[in-house]
Amino acid sequence: MRTTIPIIVAFLAGTLLIVSFFFNPEKIWIGDAKELALQWMTIVGGFALVLGVVSIVRVNARAVQRKSEGWFYKLMTVISVFAMAIPAIMPVTKESVGGSIFYSIFPESCMGYLGTGSNSFYDWLFNYVDAPMMETMFAMLAFYIASAAYRAFRARNTEATLLLLTAILVMLWRVPMGEAFLRLFSDNLPGYINTYVMGGFNVAVQRGIIIGAALGAASMSLRIILGIERTYMGK
Amino acid sequence: MDIWEKLDGIDRRWIYLLMFISVLIPTIFVVKFPIELTPEAEQLYNAVEELPDSSVIMLTFDYYASALAETEPMSIAALRHMWRKDMKIITLSNIPLGGPTIAERVTREIAEEFGKVYGVDFVNLGYKANYVAVMHGLASSIESIFPTDYSGTPLAELPLMQEVKNYDDMTFIYCVADNATVDYWVSIVNAQYGIPVGAGVTAVMAPKMYSFLEAGQMTGLLGGMKGAAEYEKMVGALGTATIGMDAQSMSHLLIIFLVIVGNLGFFMKRRKSKGAE
Amino acid sequence: MGKEIDIFSIVIKLKAIRILPVILLTITMSLILNSQAFAQDFGDSVFLYSRITVIVLLLVFSGAVLLYTKWAKAGKKLFIRKIAGVDAVEDAVGRATEMGKPVLFIPGIADVEDIETIAGIAILGRVARVTAQYDTPLRVPVRYPMVLAASQEVVEGAYAEMGKADSYDKDTVRYVAGEQFAFTATVNGMMMRERPAANIYMGGFFAESLLLAETGNAAGAIQIAGTARPEQLPFFVAACDFTLMGEELYAASSYLSHEPLLLGGLKGQDFVKVLIIISILIGTLLVTFDIGDWYTNLFDVP
Repeated sequence: MRTTIPIIVAFLAGTLLIVSFFFNPEKIWIGDAKELALQWMTIVGGFALVLGVVSIVRVNARAVQRKSEGWFYKLMTVISVFAMAIPAIMPVTKESVGGSIFYSIFPESCMGYLGTGSNSFYDWLFNYVDAPMMETMFAMLAFYIASAAYRAFRARNTEATLLLLTAILVMLWRVPMGEAFLRLFSDNLPGYINTYVMGGFNVAVQRGIIIGAALGAASMSLRIILGIERTYMGK
Repeated sequence: MDIWEKLDGIDRRWIYLLMFISVLIPTIFVVKFPIELTPEAEQLYNAVEELPDSSVIMLTFDYYASALAETEPMSIAALRHMWRKDMKIITLSNIPLGGPTIAERVTREIAEEFGKVYGVDFVNLGYKANYVAVMHGLASSIESIFPTDYSGTPLAELPLMQEVKNYDDMTFIYCVADNATVDYWVSIVNAQYGIPVGAGVTAVMAPKMYSFLEAGQMTGLLGGMKGAAEYEKMVGALGTATIGMDAQSMSHLLIIFLVIVGNLGFFMKRRKSKGAE
Repeated sequence: MGKEIDIFSIVIKLKAIRILPVILLTITMSLILNSQAFAQDFGDSVFLYSRITVIVLLLVFSGAVLLYTKWAKAGKKLFIRKIAGVDAVEDAVGRATEMGKPVLFIPGIADVEDIETIAGIAILGRVARVTAQYDTPLRVPVRYPMVLAASQEVVEGAYAEMGKADSYDKDTVRYVAGEQFAFTATVNGMMMRERPAANIYMGGFFAESLLLAETGNAAGAIQIAGTARPEQLPFFVAACDFTLMGEELYAASSYLSHEPLLLGGLKGQDFVKVLIIISILIGTLLVTFDIGDWYTNLFDVP
């Protein structure tokens, strides 16, 4: 029973979405089923967020309680979760849900600071705390790429050597200094790299992988819809 | 232990330090090497240039704050190009965190430069969850998906939105993205509704986009900071991407140098081990 | 087994199977051709006739998958090439067990509606069975609450199946952060502090792929990655010991299961791939000689 009902649900949901693709959404409800399902998913996802919050609080609160190593950072994590969430769910105006009660307790002057609009507390946290941290993490890629390239890019065999040479040519082509260097050999060299490497080999490889992956995804979806693949249910 | 063995086992923090220096020095001492244009960047510029003046264009801000260095200069250059042609711009974001805020800040900054008025020359629709549903929904009615703009003003009160009801009233979609939403702009909006889509994406994403470009599903492409610098050059307003090109050049050259050193060490070690046998 | 299987067996014996792709392709093309002609007459109706091509392809695809599954069920031996990355998964868990260190598994950072995530969760089920069997600690950080719920279910099920329900810790699967780089920073911290012996990345990954894999490498873990995103593959290839590329990710759970029923699906998929390759070759030839417009229009689905 624990397996049968989910399989039936998966079959019906999958089939409905496939069938809906072939019907005109302006003429019949079934054509709109995909959009409807997407909306349902957003709603279910919203409720599932509570699970996430419970998990993050439980794991970190336990560490704080036991004063285990790095407990202070875990405490900061829990505080940050609520620091970003609370201002975003507070009523922004008197007309918002619960707004009349909220602003009968708190002064109306705090209206601008709530919500997610510009000048809000959330916005401030985003612009001056979250965004710089995200940018820093992304920038770290440059360091990691350098160390990975140094360690892993070895001309071990013919294929690896070809790959290495191509990579060097593309790296040179993508920057002005490198492009100027390439032009010392031939004015057409950057153009050739663009045409043959990026527009030729690259496109062929990308398409091969994309087609293969799309088929794999379709095959897996089919196996799930038909109940052949049950591993995702832990079976 | 000879030098090659030492180099092979080098602490990766030395590499990090070299990378830091290679980015820092050109940022301080800018040389500005000439930027050559790629055909795909020119294609995007020409596509916008050939549109009639005052036509309506959609500019998306589908990126997180993490990719600002690559994507924001593209948005800025695109806005300058479009307003130089007196176009009407509708912005939106399919990214909940960052996109709408960045769109608001960037468009208002550049609007001031050109004396453009919010609601008349441009509108920021903000963010709505479920980008697939949003992209489909905009085809029938913008107002059904976005009853209000980013700041909560009903679309009915914005003059520009009285003229623009769906994709039929737009001439082009200029998508700036750091994620897979660009695939959907192409596969849904371009394929199903026939509106031309051009894109500016991060350097990592660019190789994949060539498939769309070659198939004619995408009209022009800007790849990473280099693409942004090319667009800045074509628009004639040099910005942060152009300045960043020197740092990017140096870091690429450093990586090439590291790869060469790594391979020299590899061959020396291999020769040594063969000699020992 | 039924009569159909006997007919198929005869076909196999006659070695006619080798020309089956060509026969099926011919049938498919004639069906598409007819449907397209029909579609032009009924453009604006309740049923979208213009999408009939997809139905034809769907039928061919489903037919091939079901057919091979049926053969597999009937006991026909299907050859599936070895996937080194998948074989390495069990070795990696074994290594972690020997070292007494945890296994870190990340089912991608995409949400549960992404089929890559489902593939990742399916592989997680297999990995969890092995870790449960050997009492190896397992860590599964996730980015979305829906993935949290699904992964918890799978891991709990795996532990129960191995008779180790008591050893299951509810925080084995934990929600880390909804923001991409906050997630990455936390997982990187976990890698450096706990030093897992094996890091397994299976699912949809984005710009964080190299940040994770490089940190894992620095922490000395054996690393196996799998993703269908071509733009992230070079990073995983550079920093991981094994990488599953594209469709290998979707095949991994079936491969790990060693169940003939699931392997049949893989063969069906390969068969359709042969059809697609033939279609591409025909299209390339026709377009090269400038007589391919009608052909490309067949596949133009609005």
